[in-house]
Formats: sequence, structure tokens, C-alpha cells
Amino acid sequence: MSHLTKSNEAFWWSLFSAGGVMAALFVPVIIFVTGFVLPFMMGDDLESQYDRMQGLITMWPTRVALFGVIFLSFFHCAHRIRHILMDFGVRWAGVALLILCYGGAVAGTVVAGVVLARF
Amino acid sequence: MPQETITLEVFRYRPEEDKQSTFQNYDVPYHEHWVVLDAINWIKDNVDGTLSYRWSCRMGVCGSCGMMINGEPKLTCAVFLKDYFPKVIRVEPLVNFPVERDLVIDMDGFMEKLKSVKPWIIRDDTDQMDQEYLQTPSQLAAYKDFSMCINCMLCYSACPVLDGDPEFIGPAALALAHRYNLDSRDKGNEQRQDIMGAEEGVWGCAFVGECTEVCPKNVNPAGAIQQAKIASTKAWYRSVLLPWGKR
Ligand code: SF4
Ligand code: FES
Repeated sequence: MSHLTKSNEAFWWSLFSAGGVMAALFVPVIIFVTGFVLPFMMGDDLESQYDRMQGLITMWPTRVALFGVIFLSFFHCAHRIRHILMDFGVRWAGVALLILCYGGAVAGTVVAGVVLARF
Repeated sequence: MPQETITLEVFRYRPEEDKQSTFQNYDVPYHEHWVVLDAINWIKDNVDGTLSYRWSCRMGVCGSCGMMINGEPKLTCAVFLKDYFPKVIRVEPLVNFPVERDLVIDMDGFMEKLKSVKPWIIRDDTDQMDQEYLQTPSQLAAYKDFSMCINCMLCYSACPVLDGDPEFIGPAALALAHRYNLDSRDKGNEQRQDIMGAEEGVWGCAFVGECTEVCPKNVNPAGAIQQAKIASTKAWYRSVLLPWGKR
């Protein structure tokens, strides 16, 4: 305890907590609404279902909201994996582990952004 | 009916004669109303005066009688023999601390950690120290639970982070720092931020929650650390986004 190591963990942790709220609260709601409620309400015609769902997703507010949920969930996941690995003794990997985990989240975020923008 | 007995398997280490620690078994009279500390005191008084350990109040207040009982950190004045009878009770010094002798641990490191978080009310130099600083019941309630700690160190023995990283400031000291940060009379938040926001501070905590499980005073150190993480995060963003402002 003789020395203190300055930490930027607050940044990752804030993304982790926000992502936790998304993953625990919003993702199940989205799955429930888009997977069960809407299909049941839309009747049997699969083709019109698809069109209407696409119409919903391509609205810009939906795209932005989905992007927020996906991006934060990725960072939640990355942080969790990084800490599990650290608990398993992979502390020595330090910056490499940081790049691997959060880099993965950044890559996932970029892909999600591109897919959502072009949908 | 002959007196029933219960066996205590006690950790022994006498640095001047032992190269290594050993275990010694003692048969102790079994009484339903005896706590483990009573049995250890009986050994000391009747069988082996060389056995060393700490205790004082016998009523869960002083925090000095913490030991590992069958592998779990407990106040020995608060656990009854009847909860283990007729099985053997293994008594060891608290883990995650160096052992000085028998059941006595070296708590210098803990004391240093406690002191490092400045667990006292900090005021500005300009404040009048001879005046009263009033506090409403709700201002008191904000930190009261976190102020009930008796420094028994059970949470330090329970913490898996401390097992791997002895530099971690640890549950009791972080909870105490948070207790003063929450105190409406205190102005020391900023002075404590460097240590709270360090790797060795709140960010060392993996939120396993064992500290809260074993705490005999319901201090909930794990909860205090989670709250302190939120406070530290706000301070970090302020220091990055408004580096010219006050933290
Ligand atoms: S927080 Fe609880 S377990 Fe930890 S030292 Fe204080 S009273 Fe003991
Ligand atoms: S002897 Fe004081 S707490 Fe047990």
C-alpha cells in the first residue's frame, strides 16, 4: 500500500454499468416485444410482418436506440470477460488484455453501426 | 453422567522454537452455553498457558477475537460450541495476514491502510473548531450503518481480492472512507479521492460480496464500495472533462 496506481477504471466501469442496465432491462424487453408481442399482433402474413418490422427498425430513432443498446451491451460484456480472466490470473497480460477485450467491443460496435445504418 | 467433551484442533506457531506451524488437539468440557472463546480460555487456564490469542470484551464489541473457525472468519466470542458439537472445531488465525504467534496476527498493514483513508472529519482551516456542527436525523442515516465497524478484520480474511493482492486497501477501510465522505460535516472528499479512485482503492474490488456476508456488525462494506465506485466515477469524469474546475 506504499504506492498508489492511478486508475482509469472509472471510464470502463461506467460503460460496464450502463451496459448492464441495457443487457438486463432493455434486451429482454426488446426480445419480448419484437419476438412475441408484435408477431402475434401482426397476423399470419409473414411477408407483411417482415415489411412492417423493417419499417420499424429503419426509423432513425429506432436505429439510434438499438445502437445504444448494442454498443453498451458489448462494453458490458468486454469488461466482464476482462475481469473474469484477471480473476483467473491473467493479470500479467495487462494492456494486451485491455486491447483484446475492449477492442472486441469496439469492433462489434462498428459492425453494429454499419449494419444499422445500411439496413 | 460423565462430562461430555469437544475437541479443538488449534493452530500453533511459536517462532522461537517452531520452524513450521502445527496443529494441537485439546479436549475441552462441552457446555451448551459456551462460545468458542470460552473453550480457548479454558485451555489457556487449565491445560496450556503458552497458547497466545487476542480477546477482550467477550460481547462482540471490541473486535479483537476474530479467528478462522472451520475455515470461516468468525468472532470467537459469538460462535457457540453447540453449533459444531460433536464434531471437531478447527481454530486458526485469520487468513490474509501474517501470523505473529499462534492465533495472533500482525495487523500493522491493516492499521496503515485504515490511516491512509483519513478516517476522521476534515474541515477547512477557516472553520471554527469550537462551534457545533449540527446534523439532521436523515443526514446521520446516510452513513450510520457504515460507521458501525469494530475493525475485527473478518472482512479482510473473507476477501478473495486480498488473497491475491495484499496491496488492496480492503473492505473495512474503504467503507470507513465512504462513511466520512457521506458525513454532512466532512469536507475531505477531495483529499480521499486519490486513494479511493486508485487501482488499490475501490477499483480493486471485484464485488464478490463475501465481506458483507461475514461482517458481524452488518456494515455492508461491499455496498459501501459500490456506492464509492459511483462517486469515484463522477470524480473521474469531472477531472477529465473539467480539468480546470474543482474536482
Ligand atoms: S466491516 Fe464488518 S467485518 Fe469488516 S472490520 Fe468492520 S465490523 Fe469487521
Ligand atoms: S472479545 Fe471483543 S469482539 Fe469478541
